[in-house]
Amino acid sequence: MQRRFLSSISATAGNSKTLNQGRWSVKQVKKSNFHVTLDKIRASIDSSDFIALSLQNTGSYAAAWHRVSAIDTPQTSYLKAKYAAERYQILQFALCPFSLQGSKLTVHPYNFHLFPRDELKCGMPSYSFSCQASRLTSMAREGFDFNTCIYEGISYLSRAQESASKFLSGNPILADPIAVSSSSPATVADTVFVGRIRSRVKNWRKSCVDSSIKTGDDDLVSSLRRLVLGSEQYGSRLCLTIDVCSERQVQLILEMLTEFSEDVVPLLVASKSRGTQAVRTVFMSSKEDKDLFMRELQDLENKENRRVRGFREVIDLISSSQKPVISQNYLSDLTSIHAKFLGPLPANVDDFSSSLSSAFPSVVDLSQFMKEISPLSNISNLPAAMSSLNRFFAPVDVEVANQGSQVKLSESYQSHGQNAVMISQLFAKLRTIQKSDLSTVEPNEDFQALASDEHESSVTSCSQNAGDENVKVWSKNSRRVSSENLVFIWGLTKKMTAAKLKNVLQKSHPVFTQEFDVKYLDKSCAIVVFWESGPSETFVTAVNNEEQLGGSLKEMVAEGLRAAGYETYKKACRLGFWEADLAESLDKTLESSDTDPDSDSNPSEIDWSNDLAINFDEL
Amino acid sequence: MRRQKQWPLRPLLAYSFCSSAAERVSNSTAAAATVAFPLKHVTRSNFEKTLNDLRALVKAADFVAIDLEMTGVTSAPWRDSLEFDRYDVRYLKVKDSAEKFAVVQFGVCPFRWDARTQSFVSHPQNFFVFPRQELTFDPPAHEFLCQTTSMDFLAKYQFDFNTCIHEGISYLSRRQEEEASKRLETLYREEGIDSSGETEDLKLVRLADVLFAERMKNMLNEWRTGLLNGGNVSSESPRISNESTRSTETVFHQMRPALSLKGFTSHQLRVINSVLGKHFGDLVYIHSNDKSSCSQDFVVYTESESDKENLMKEAKDERKRVGERKIQSAIGFRQVIDLLASEKKLIVGHNCFLDIAHVYSKFVGPLPSTAEKFVASINSHFPYIVDTKILLNVNPMLHQRMKKSSTSLSSAFSSLCPQIEFSSRSSDSHLQQRVKIDVEVDNFRCSNWNAGGKHEAGYDAFMTGCIFAQACNHLGFDFTQHSQSDNLAHNEKLEKYINRLYLSWTRGDIIDLRTGHSNADNWRVSKFKYENIVLIWNFPRKLKAREIKECICKAFGSVSVISVYHIDDSAVFLLFKNSELVWDFLKLKRQLESSDGPVSVLHPLSKILEGGNTGAADYEAYKEICSSHISEILFSDQAETVGVKSRTRPDPQDETDRREESTVAVTHKSSDLIDAFLANRVEVETATTN
Repeated sequence: MQRRFLSSISATAGNSKTLNQGRWSVKQVKKSNFHVTLDKIRASIDSSDFIALSLQNTGSYAAAWHRVSAIDTPQTSYLKAKYAAERYQILQFALCPFSLQGSKLTVHPYNFHLFPRDELKCGMPSYSFSCQASRLTSMAREGFDFNTCIYEGISYLSRAQESASKFLSGNPILADPIAVSSSSPATVADTVFVGRIRSRVKNWRKSCVDSSIKTGDDDLVSSLRRLVLGSEQYGSRLCLTIDVCSERQVQLILEMLTEFSEDVVPLLVASKSRGTQAVRTVFMSSKEDKDLFMRELQDLENKENRRVRGFREVIDLISSSQKPVISQNYLSDLTSIHAKFLGPLPANVDDFSSSLSSAFPSVVDLSQFMKEISPLSNISNLPAAMSSLNRFFAPVDVEVANQGSQVKLSESYQSHGQNAVMISQLFAKLRTIQKSDLSTVEPNEDFQALASDEHESSVTSCSQNAGDENVKVWSKNSRRVSSENLVFIWGLTKKMTAAKLKNVLQKSHPVFTQEFDVKYLDKSCAIVVFWESGPSETFVTAVNNEEQLGGSLKEMVAEGLRAAGYETYKKACRLGFWEADLAESLDKTLESSDTDPDSDSNPSEIDWSNDLAINFDEL
Repeated sequence: MRRQKQWPLRPLLAYSFCSSAAERVSNSTAAAATVAFPLKHVTRSNFEKTLNDLRALVKAADFVAIDLEMTGVTSAPWRDSLEFDRYDVRYLKVKDSAEKFAVVQFGVCPFRWDARTQSFVSHPQNFFVFPRQELTFDPPAHEFLCQTTSMDFLAKYQFDFNTCIHEGISYLSRRQEEEASKRLETLYREEGIDSSGETEDLKLVRLADVLFAERMKNMLNEWRTGLLNGGNVSSESPRISNESTRSTETVFHQMRPALSLKGFTSHQLRVINSVLGKHFGDLVYIHSNDKSSCSQDFVVYTESESDKENLMKEAKDERKRVGERKIQSAIGFRQVIDLLASEKKLIVGHNCFLDIAHVYSKFVGPLPSTAEKFVASINSHFPYIVDTKILLNVNPMLHQRMKKSSTSLSSAFSSLCPQIEFSSRSSDSHLQQRVKIDVEVDNFRCSNWNAGGKHEAGYDAFMTGCIFAQACNHLGFDFTQHSQSDNLAHNEKLEKYINRLYLSWTRGDIIDLRTGHSNADNWRVSKFKYENIVLIWNFPRKLKAREIKECICKAFGSVSVISVYHIDDSAVFLLFKNSELVWDFLKLKRQLESSDGPVSVLHPLSKILEGGNTGAADYEAYKEICSSHISEILFSDQAETVGVKSRTRPDPQDETDRREESTVAVTHKSSDLIDAFLANRVEVETATTN
């Protein structure tokens, strides 16, 4: 049954066969086979050099302007990705550890079905999530099996949730030794309380010691004694439960119990709602017994954690392997992963980068890599990206090495998880091309070193500063402009094309005698870009200043035209005004009294390109 | 072992309706089919036919039971119905739920009294609904929320998500339909203006385009000359150039000679269009969508300028008609709702306020901002709604008959309609009291149907209808006496219960949907004085309710606080003895926060204010927080996001007075319904405390 078989499919790059989807057998992992597959995944990761991943979410962006576009700075891009990552749910996680030797690509594809089942009944991992109807419809068209996903999806808890859930499992936990330290000045009530508990524990301990020495006691006497002293049994050991009504009391008891530390171990019993309900002291008959007990507790905790962690176990495996992770949509994939499996997303992009790199030290942004090799290609369509590389000679042989389920073409969901294989294939191709460019590459190159190089570029480009060398002007019809030179205008009464709007603006104000460009960001709001600094500010002040108004601009303002600089846009993202129309969000931002200075107020640069424009027909 | 007694059945002719169907069933002798036919599921594929059948069934029905399955109920834990929710806050919470979650299943079950067989005939139908976006020119990207526990619950009852998403029927609300029509209208109006301008916008930049344009110009010129000279166009054979996929063929379009263009890309078509604009005044480019939604492109020859205008107009009108047809077909499931509304039938639901709110927000339009406006509006759409949960709890006789068992749908069904639940016709002492209910699905009829699919909306609707029929029977409603013309909705025995729904079941708040009543009449008198409530959030998490109460009592006296109630881990309600204490508390809190001397450290309240983030506000702020469309999981996060600053109203006095007046008015005028209800309420409470 567990027979391992190798299915080797060799495909030469440039061959049209490579573009076929659904050719590889991808191991489908659900709740039922997750734990038995885990060891194989570990082995796959250990034997590979890179890990490609691809996610299927319940949505990407709710409104046109929520999509990350060329006008976004790293911070606003991150905020947009954060907003999406927090709302939508990952339903499928395709993972493909792979290694590349020469032109031979060995892949171990897996596809995990995820569902955030509330197994602890406490609103974790997620209380609710958003779905985009159109996204679900298109997933359905691709043959996605929602029943498998919801009935049999693997649940998980993030690292942050796991530590929060310790109290919810109901198992007694070992009191944290660090917690037993300082104490605020003791009041009379405290002293009385401690004294009372001390004598209670003393009596109980004495009886424990007695009973362990005097085994001759008959059952009736010992059970009577137990009854009188309130002593209970914890497993095979004797214990005493002391009810508490505040965390302060817990603190006092723990401090007091240090007196008995050689044979009494305190455990905390969590209440269902919040905080500690009781302290349970367990009597240890010997030093060896204590060690044994500690081990038992540790095992219990590990078992519980494992049950609760679910799919996150895989994330932890990736993280601890420290292998480079290859992602196609760097920002959206990794914000999702951070939000679901690590912890809440931080408020700004730098904190995110550092938090992420502590878990995944090297992440390769495939689209960035692709741009370096082939600047004009579009990464969003993997087969197309692949075929665009055909002009390079870069043969890649794919070998599927993990035990996949038999390819049953009738089962449509077998085709899921192909993306991760494609990503690894694309990466392999790009690497081969890159290597042939740099003729001095040694045959046995250290992958780690290379990947961390790339990682550098991807992370810095994510948190780039103005003038950073890493972001180049990719194409001829794209120019670098400072975000200071951008003006958002909205509140136009008539619907008009960008060209028309440009015409109208030209006649409205002298600043428009200079060269400028107009593009719509969504149907409610357009952006004006000036090639020089200065006019943008003049225009915004003109619109907001009654005296300077005149002519057709005055007419337009009277009809509702409004204008704002890039700061307002940044603020809208920061304050989380994610309205459906950008105009609405900008209005709200201008109204909001929040005057906190933006943490990164430096002007940033963006690439102004012609393909930035959003086609009106698409809206 | 219970042997199921099977009633003789025979498949019937399609489209034969109930009255004749009943006759045929009773006449039939051969038992042709099994009783265990499944619940009828309706998806996109069989919707049209089912709708046609349903029209007659609803028309003939005495009442129609409904039930909905949703993707969730509360968007955050604190959005659940809480003890301290005033009716307006409760409405806001229901509104939030109906706006955020999607309906995935809609059960409709018409019931008709059949005098021949002395039984009800019911037609349960289970519609799968999914908010698929059918209109391309309808921009708002539809998004809905899923509550994980609700999804799990649906999964537990084997809900078929694939059918729902792949095959669910889509819908447009009335408002959406209006907006789509309006948008279509604007598109139609603007088209004439834009098209002339836009053709010139296209500049031929690339060499390929220039060459292509030149070639097309020659081709069109040749064709036009051929037309004008020969006139013998129909005999011309299709010209297929160099075995390419592109082809042009001379055809007739709207009685005019035309060149049909096939296999061109949309960019090429734009180039052709611009060539026509520049060089051929009498040739017109027409893009048409025929009924099968496959598009066709033509270059049409026009005789004159006026002929050209006519053609353009015709093409435009045609496009508009296609658009209108698309909107019509996108209405989808709403046709069922329109049917229920237009027939003005009695709608029966079980604890159905949330269901009705969903119906309103999905199929009528955005929910009104206040409960009063909702009441004013719902009546014009659904004049008669009855809630079986109200019936069972408010009527003392029925309440007693329930023998204190739970009034949840399934337990009410088993206690009121055991003969259906267990499919038994065994000698039952109450048999004469049991209403006979037959089920007819796709012309199969049987009298002891048990599809067993609890929590399938169709089956739940059926159960609700059965409970209602049985309850009417217990109320002394004699179906045998009542003729078809009698309307159940106007029956005096039911009058007290119609259009009254539980706004909150846990609190027993009832909303009265009848119009023409002052608002004060609509609400049950509340136990609480909301102006005595203060909301506190973001206090140190480890503080328990008791400790908070102790702190406040130390500062304001031992009897100042009546109770402390947790909203969630991060927030509590404090119920003070009187409203002066509310303002004192808020004032003191502000003072303590502004000074950082030893007083603020030693003050009893400092325990609550520790950390410096503690927020506090009055009850109106709570309402404001609930009205926000944001739903943070923790209440404290919600309060911070909504931006309610700790505040007191400048002059709370006069508003408080007004509210007190209205409260008094209600207590004096309390109707018999309220009396009856309160009596029962007390009973329920004692039952739960036991």
